[in-house]
Amino acid sequence: MLTHSSILATEIPWIKELHGLQPMGLQDSFTMRSSLQAVALWGKKAPPHSITAIMITDDQQMIVTGSQEGQLCLWNLSSELKISAKELLFGHSASVMCLARARDFSKQPFVVSAAENGEMCVWNVTNGQCVEKAILPYRHTAICYYHCSARMTEGWLLCCGEYQDVLIIDAKSLVIIHTFVSSQSPDWINCICIVHSMTIQEDSLLAVSVAGELKVWDLSSSINSIQEKQDVYEKESKFLDSLNCRAIRFCTYTERLLLVVFSKCWKVYDYCDFSLLWTEVSGSGQFFAGGEVLAAHRIIIWTEDGHSYIYQLLNRWAQMETAYKTFSGLSKSIYPADGTLLKETIYPHLLCSTSVQENKSLPFVMGYINERKEPFYKILFSGEVSGRITLWHIPDVPVSKFDGSPREIPITTTWTLQDNFDKHSTTSQTISDYFSGFKDENETVVVTSSEYVPSLDKLICGCEDGTIFITQALNAAKAGLLEGGSLLKGSLPQKVLKGHHHSVTSLLYPHGLSSKLDQSWLVSGDQDSWVILWNIFTEEILHKFFLQAGLVTSLLMSPENFKLRSYQVICCVCSDHSVALLHLEGRRCLLSARKHLFPVRMIKWHPVENFLVVGCADDSVYIWEIETGTLERHETGERAKIILNCCDDSQLPKPESILPVASETHKHKSVEQRSSSLSQFGPIPCPGLQVESSCKVADAKSFSGPFNVLLVKTKWSNIGFHILLFDLESLLELLLPTPIRDVDPSNSFYCSEILRRAKSTVEKTTLTLKRNKTVCGPLSTEVHAKPVGESPAQGDNTIKLSEENDGVKKQKKIKSFKKMHPKQSRKVDANLTIDTAKLLLSCLLPWGVDKELDNLCIKHLNILKLQGPVSLGLAANEDHFSLMLPGWDLYNTEMKKDYSKVNLFSRKVLDLSDKYTSTFPNHSGMPKGLENNSDSLQESNTIVYLLSKLFLVNKLVNMPLELAYGMDSAFKIESVHNKMKSPGNDILNISSFYSYLRNGKSESHLPEADVSLLKLISCWRDQSVQVTEAIQAVLLAEVQKHMKTLRKTPVNSEPESVAKNGDYEMMQMLPKIEWAKEPELQCTTDTFPPQTPVSSVKHDSNSNSANFQDTEDMPDRCVLEESESPGKRKHHLWIEKVCSCKLC
Amino acid sequence: MATVMAATAAERAVLEEEFRWLLHDEVHAVLRQLQDILKEASLRFTLPGSGTEGPTKQENFILGSCGTDQVKGVLTLQGDALSQADVNLKMPRNNQLLHFAFREDKQWKLQQIQDARNHVSQAIYLLANRDESYQFRTGAEVLKLMDAVMLQLTRARNRLTTPATLTLPEIAASGLTRMFAPTLPSDLLVNVYINLNKLCLTVYQLHTLQPNSTKNFRPAGGAVLHSPGAMFEWGTQRLEVSHVHKVESVIPWLNDALVFFTVSLQLCQQLKDKISVFSSYWSCRPF
Repeated sequence: MLTHSSILATEIPWIKELHGLQPMGLQDSFTMRSSLQAVALWGKKAPPHSITAIMITDDQQMIVTGSQEGQLCLWNLSSELKISAKELLFGHSASVMCLARARDFSKQPFVVSAAENGEMCVWNVTNGQCVEKAILPYRHTAICYYHCSARMTEGWLLCCGEYQDVLIIDAKSLVIIHTFVSSQSPDWINCICIVHSMTIQEDSLLAVSVAGELKVWDLSSSINSIQEKQDVYEKESKFLDSLNCRAIRFCTYTERLLLVVFSKCWKVYDYCDFSLLWTEVSGSGQFFAGGEVLAAHRIIIWTEDGHSYIYQLLNRWAQMETAYKTFSGLSKSIYPADGTLLKETIYPHLLCSTSVQENKSLPFVMGYINERKEPFYKILFSGEVSGRITLWHIPDVPVSKFDGSPREIPITTTWTLQDNFDKHSTTSQTISDYFSGFKDENETVVVTSSEYVPSLDKLICGCEDGTIFITQALNAAKAGLLEGGSLLKGSLPQKVLKGHHHSVTSLLYPHGLSSKLDQSWLVSGDQDSWVILWNIFTEEILHKFFLQAGLVTSLLMSPENFKLRSYQVICCVCSDHSVALLHLEGRRCLLSARKHLFPVRMIKWHPVENFLVVGCADDSVYIWEIETGTLERHETGERAKIILNCCDDSQLPKPESILPVASETHKHKSVEQRSSSLSQFGPIPCPGLQVESSCKVADAKSFSGPFNVLLVKTKWSNIGFHILLFDLESLLELLLPTPIRDVDPSNSFYCSEILRRAKSTVEKTTLTLKRNKTVCGPLSTEVHAKPVGESPAQGDNTIKLSEENDGVKKQKKIKSFKKMHPKQSRKVDANLTIDTAKLLLSCLLPWGVDKELDNLCIKHLNILKLQGPVSLGLAANEDHFSLMLPGWDLYNTEMKKDYSKVNLFSRKVLDLSDKYTSTFPNHSGMPKGLENNSDSLQESNTIVYLLSKLFLVNKLVNMPLELAYGMDSAFKIESVHNKMKSPGNDILNISSFYSYLRNGKSESHLPEADVSLLKLISCWRDQSVQVTEAIQAVLLAEVQKHMKTLRKTPVNSEPESVAKNGDYEMMQMLPKIEWAKEPELQCTTDTFPPQTPVSSVKHDSNSNSANFQDTEDMPDRCVLEESESPGKRKHHLWIEKVCSCKLC
Repeated sequence: MATVMAATAAERAVLEEEFRWLLHDEVHAVLRQLQDILKEASLRFTLPGSGTEGPTKQENFILGSCGTDQVKGVLTLQGDALSQADVNLKMPRNNQLLHFAFREDKQWKLQQIQDARNHVSQAIYLLANRDESYQFRTGAEVLKLMDAVMLQLTRARNRLTTPATLTLPEIAASGLTRMFAPTLPSDLLVNVYINLNKLCLTVYQLHTLQPNSTKNFRPAGGAVLHSPGAMFEWGTQRLEVSHVHKVESVIPWLNDALVFFTVSLQLCQQLKDKISVFSSYWSCRPF
């Protein structure tokens, strides 16, 4: 129990442990925030996509590729065989090994991908969402989908790879069901293929092992045994006498021939007795990569270097018989259908071939898809390491030239990601384009590192030429994306730090990680091994460290509880595998650890003994004593693993620990902890080397604010691009709550973690409590009952109480935390939040659908129009996100004609939007109050309203299916409601849920519009409408509705409600709406929120409430303090703070 | 802005030339060297199907430990399979001698060796289609290849260095216990594995825990080597390990193979490092 917990792990950002180790346990807080809106700023260069797997979907409308970098790319394939890249899917942290269909494609367009490190994901390729994921300790090289509708409910994924025999994985849950085991010489399987034989009505599984052993398992007749977990052994086994099998294919046309492609030869066997009919050896330097049966006696073979050959298999005897029939295939009469063993003698005749002009980048991955129905083609497709896709349309009857020499089939289409970028270059902006003040127009800045500081809204970019730009992130994004934003370009406040002479490879803003460190500090490392400490406010160099090592690949900071003489230290990892520790306060280098032979993969800290534990790529561990700079220990193998593993689960330092002893005593234990069932089957993957995250997606985890900018870089490349991430939920939180709630994202890691945990557990209660308290300070106890009663459907009193207590407790926690950092809140100023919201709306709105609407939006919402379509994206959870590629919107040519500069996600959006509009009841439009006020208060009010709608839609569409099924509509809505822990939804659902819950579940009181609306959105989810589609549709409809009212009512309508100062009744019923106006207060008056004239506030909430609820049986409530003077209000806030502390 | 890039035009030309040499000549030289080493390593594993056919030769290993001589064993290895085993166990209590051997018709596949061998041949295959005629055009291409090769080699090495951690019920259920004639007594468990360059045989002697035993029953987890006192449940019985005997023998060719793995891994890493030296000068190139 000693060292077990006393070493602190700091992970190098691009590495993710297989076991889901999180450096600071952020994961739970992150999963709560279900999906983030992302906007990609791609730049001019496409990210590298080295294709390692490729497939065409069964409907021939999409190409799916997997890359060595770990991404999947979806490409649209038009009916004219034109390719256009559509979407990039991030989800794997290692290179993709294989792709396969995961469902009956006509029912569900699902594709499974398996990565090098054992990750498996099932993707819905129409909307780019990851449906299911799992990490299994198996590396698959091939997957086949098998479904026997008569005997199975869910399909199987038959997998083979770097383990013995064939695994059966449930296609839906990705759980291992069983294995097909071999009794004779079990070995790894290279290739598998499923044989459906019509004549014997039995499905078989053919597999070839790495040693060249062909094995046959009964498939359809062993379904039951598999389901009962009985061992199923191979039916037949035959040694094929060749190594490196690349493909095995059964000829379904003759049901007789079996094609087996090895890397140095291909062979044809008679399926009846596995007798060898023909062997064709490859030419020198040529490696076969696969093959397929085109038709009866016609096969295609392709090679690693992108060539393919179509052969006619001729029968000597038949040829002598009927010489003129040479190329027309062999008639049935020659081959008795009854399967008598007529020894066939065949030899191949080369008919056609295909090639690529430049076959320099090996290897090619190729495939062939056959025609299914009429409009479909026979397509040979290939993907290259360079990211190029090439298609050949194979004619139905390939023939050779008249002189008998093989004919060359021309390339039909070829395309790369870069082609998309070149064609639609206008749509691919970068943030860095706007650092142009110091540059020639034609020279672009290559950003090599970047860091976003949420507390200052500063984006810090290190460039290739050694300069560091600091700019206002939101404004830079606006300048890049929005029309008229480019005017901002010149006026963008930016700072340039000059000091590096080589490209800046890493940046660290220490204050972002530990609030105790100076806010002005920035640490940057460059290619030449210089590390500079800057003051970003004065732009001066505080100190230059020269590490005399390689390129500084990353800068890390020691965790808060690791202190060296009460200071935290900076750890620099260099490309020459050395590690240096820097002491910022002391301006000195503490340690330079240079003995590592392999790249450093992990840094861990041992706070008590002052040890630095360095894990290397070869799974060895070096333990350095920081004080003396000596190498304390060097371990490899099992012991190294134990040392690294033993610090995983806890971070609490225990004073009496001694590392060597502890690792000794805990050897046994940690070994035991490892899952043992896995070792029965194939190899246990070694987390050390195998887990190489291909891009820094993991960084997204540390994201806590409403807005963030990330530089995404892929492996083996210096091409990076920025993505803007918007968190609807936290955006709403920031727009709605009290100043107290306003959490500064730049708070210290630890503290904000506590806060977040507190939030997540009883978030709703806490929120509502707090809201009420701050609104009507002294009367808070009275108000408690209501919001609490609103959340649980049961309405049970005891539950209410406990929840309430809980809430109070949590609140106390937050409060005490607040006391610790009294100055830190309110850093994110309201203007920034509302600007973020506006930018998000600008990006989401389908511009150009209706010109008038555009103008109204610009005028009344004060948002700017987009310059062009943006690449929207969706971060579904911590490490799965999808990004649209430039030109995603233009694959459909008719869409291009219809609208110019439109940001319409898909045609469907318009239909969905119409449907959505039709659910509106006729009488109610937007809250009436919004009509006649065109000031910024109303504007931000509308923005909040729109965002909350979007948030609801987002949540509803994302809701897991299980939750949705088996519940009647009311319950469904309810559970959704309860699931959502954000103030946003409260506003939305006030009308339905408020009355609904308080009226004792009598459905008659529900406004019909809302139910149908929710039903509609739930229905969209079932139709697998994409989240972005739904969001855009709802936004369009809402904006249309809103703007319609604006058009109808001229602005001169008198402000009748302003006088309604004392319309308390309405307000009490809707404490939340009060909250909605809080940020508006902040926005309108930059200086001090509570000074806003109360009257306008009144008016606003009044109108909201009037619209939203049915007033029939509202219980009378406490009177709010709104009419009090601002000074008093402030006083109350203060009192409330004190009170809550005393109370608890 | 001054001089952003330290390299002048002339310097760049030299660097470019040097990089071209690296890609065209040096890389292939290293790859050839790597292939040679790995082929040598794979020969140690006596790949079936490669070169000389016929039954793979058998090797006998006499297992012992420096401490006691209570267990003696002779294991016969044929490629990646144990074809024969003779184990003599002197019971500590009554000094009674137990002898058991493999059934004639049975072989026991050592999965660790098989996996290591397969990983090596995968690595060789990756290298094989990049012969001298193939031209590397970018450094990234070399890095990717090296990464793939290193991945295979690390796995090969790890398979040998990290034996599977099994729980006692898993050992009891494994096919190995059913391989013997006469059948193993119910109070004995046997496990065979590779640890680094050694072939290890562990024999666990068990005794049943009385149902009313005051001992706190805590089933042991998975481990390479269980220590006396480890408990587990098997069928209806609760058992405890009373004695553990571990004997081992060095397999010389495994030692060679491990050395080859380490050397080739270092070669790969060195090549990667050479490439990345240039990448830092050329980061503007698509690399």
